[in-house]
Amino acid sequence: MIIDINFVGLIITSIMASAVPLILASCGELITERSGVLNLGVEGMMIIGAISGFALMTVTGSLIIAVFGAMLAGVLISTIFAFLTQTLITNHVATGLALTIFGIGISAMIGKNFVGIPGKEFPVLFGSLKDAIPFLSPILFGHSIVFYFAFALPFITNYFLKKTKIGLIVRAVGDSPDSASNQGINVRLVRYLCILYGGAMCGLGGAYLSMIYTPQWIENMTGGRGWIALALVVFSTWNPIKILIGAMIFGGLTIIQFHMQAIGVRIPVQFLTALPYIVTIIVLVVISRDSRKIRLSTPSSLGKSFYKDN
Amino acid sequence: MNTNLKISNVTKIYPGCVANDNISLEFESGKIYALLGENGAGKSTLVKILSGVIMPDEGQIFLNNKVLKLKSPIDAKKNKIGMVFQHFNLFETLSVFENLIIDSNETRENLREKIQSIMKKYNFSIDLDIPVLNLSAGQKQKVEIIRCLIRSPDVLIMDEPTSVLTEQETIELFSSLKQFSEEGILIIYITHKLKEVMSICDEVAVMRKGQLVSVSKIINEKIETLANKMIGQNLKTIKKKISNEKSKEQLIKISNLNYSSEDPFETNLKKINFEVNRGECLGIAGISGNGQSELFQVLSGEIVSEKDSIIFNDNPIGNLNPQERREYLMAFSPEDRMEQAAIPQMKIFENVALNNFKSSNFFNNGLINEKKIKEHSQKILSDFSVNTDNVELKSQFLSGGNLQKLIIGRELITSPELLICFNPTWGLDVGAINYIHETLIKINEQKKSVILISTDTDELLKLSDKICVIYKGKLSKIMNANEVTPEKLGILMGGGEID
Repeated sequence: MIIDINFVGLIITSIMASAVPLILASCGELITERSGVLNLGVEGMMIIGAISGFALMTVTGSLIIAVFGAMLAGVLISTIFAFLTQTLITNHVATGLALTIFGIGISAMIGKNFVGIPGKEFPVLFGSLKDAIPFLSPILFGHSIVFYFAFALPFITNYFLKKTKIGLIVRAVGDSPDSASNQGINVRLVRYLCILYGGAMCGLGGAYLSMIYTPQWIENMTGGRGWIALALVVFSTWNPIKILIGAMIFGGLTIIQFHMQAIGVRIPVQFLTALPYIVTIIVLVVISRDSRKIRLSTPSSLGKSFYKDN
Repeated sequence: MNTNLKISNVTKIYPGCVANDNISLEFESGKIYALLGENGAGKSTLVKILSGVIMPDEGQIFLNNKVLKLKSPIDAKKNKIGMVFQHFNLFETLSVFENLIIDSNETRENLREKIQSIMKKYNFSIDLDIPVLNLSAGQKQKVEIIRCLIRSPDVLIMDEPTSVLTEQETIELFSSLKQFSEEGILIIYITHKLKEVMSICDEVAVMRKGQLVSVSKIINEKIETLANKMIGQNLKTIKKKISNEKSKEQLIKISNLNYSSEDPFETNLKKINFEVNRGECLGIAGISGNGQSELFQVLSGEIVSEKDSIIFNDNPIGNLNPQERREYLMAFSPEDRMEQAAIPQMKIFENVALNNFKSSNFFNNGLINEKKIKEHSQKILSDFSVNTDNVELKSQFLSGGNLQKLIIGRELITSPELLICFNPTWGLDVGAINYIHETLIKINEQKKSVILISTDTDELLKLSDKICVIYKGKLSKIMNANEVTPEKLGILMGGGEID
């Protein structure tokens, strides 16, 4: 069998494309979790982003409004979560689960009128360079702006957390909200902002699915990606670069197992379908097994409510 | 410049308790002030008000005769009031430098230079780029102090600074404090340790149950008078009678016990050998971090060892877990009351039930015999004078002293042959310490034995029949308590040799 080098390039491109929503949602959730908030509503926020993006695109015809609208929708729904967990001090886990259920339900309701409507084509960058170099060109060029943003995001997130003052404050709040509060840091405000940022990124991840990856609205189209994004954050031990690796492995195996099914490899389909989940988790656990580093990067106050006594 | 800090008629009321009742105090720079009181006397509330963490219900604070409104810790910092909390306000997973830069507006380079010069001036040596969780308690405290010094404070408040320090670290801290004071920083020192007050403070204010009891100069005070003011009654001094006619009946024998840990932050134990007879108390001294917690875990069975390395009552028990060891009538009181000994979120009677699975009949066929447990808990509460009779109370609402009484009481209900305690009076006030000490002496009088691992030398000399020192995971020779002096212990604790 001759392997066409361009075909391999295309496979890699499709792997990268399938990793985009995971990277976006995970990096957003990572910031939320680093501030000590466990938001299990990722799936819900993504699907809200997906329907908002698609609906706004169809109604207004403007892609810019649609993309930013999807992010805003993510922010709005995460505001509910922030208000409940930070102001009314409800339990993070229960509230997050409720958010997911709420998101899936409301997106299906809004989405009823948008089923079967074809999407719009999303403009790509560097489209003219697409055939310049074999193999490399399709990987590097001709993608949407969201695609490039997603692959830059883990590095930006890493820089933000490690090198900037605000990143330091986020980590400090996640490590010990009491100490942070005694240092005069407004813990509730920091957590609010981190939750809203997480919402925006999840919304963008969802919009990528409905507007660029498969430009149409299908009920429940996130299909559990929110949960994978959550798992990536935890198994990458809150490290954005490892999120990128994990998302690529997951995306890669998902694509490859499709091809294997198509070729007719004699492995049970159920096993092939389960493969990406199993391998991603194993790989991330193996590359993150240094217990000292885990201790250092795990937000100590994750999932714990913060009260300030007066 | 002279600094004058005045607290005027400050009152703070919490539901069910007046934490500060109309307190007025005045401080001047150049002196070290002690704020003395038992746990729960309201000292911490007062310093939280001074540092802007909480706001008073009534009353005002004046700094240099100007009214000071402290709405948040930032206001305190702006007014050059520095505060070192009892429970460190550090971010464990961040590096030392990150901890210091977080509330600073200076550039990294400037700040680093400033920190270096502060460390040089006061002879501190801390690696700025390692995570705080790798530091010892003394080093963490220095980080807190540096954090205050960066802002060149006029007032420095220290809340129970020595409760986590070793003798050596305490001495270092005191010399730093004197240096700060000479440089004109007003120092307010909160403590319940009388000796410290006598040794470094100039003036002392005593608080009791939210009220100010007295303000006086140290030279007019004695330990006894301060103690009486602090607890509001006459404190009896207890001293153990060391009787010469001890039984030679051996209860526990540790031979050739080794433990090596994979964790680089733990201490390896090397060839531990000792024995304890019935009715004896063996004290194990040492500076914290020399293997005490590992030794406690090995003795309690949290870490199992070779079967024959521990012989208890002629039974080899080295390979048994804590629960199995309890069945042989051993009992344990670990160092960390909140984390290891009790579950703070659970009710008192539930905590009592936790470690009595078999020998008591707290459980019938897998069901909890609540009535029986509650009766029993009630008995512990009254026998050990815990200041509540509500067995439904969550353990986290007990003060340290009361929780420790509860734990010791719980351990003693099976009338164990041997009680192993690790820093049983850590962070407790005088009244509670006395009570625990009396209890331990009583155990010995009943021909039961105690192994007391403690970093408090006074406590060891008071209670032990035999004393040895642990240093870097090795035990010194075992000495009779009446031949031991604090100086000798000091030398051994520092790794020195005595004949």
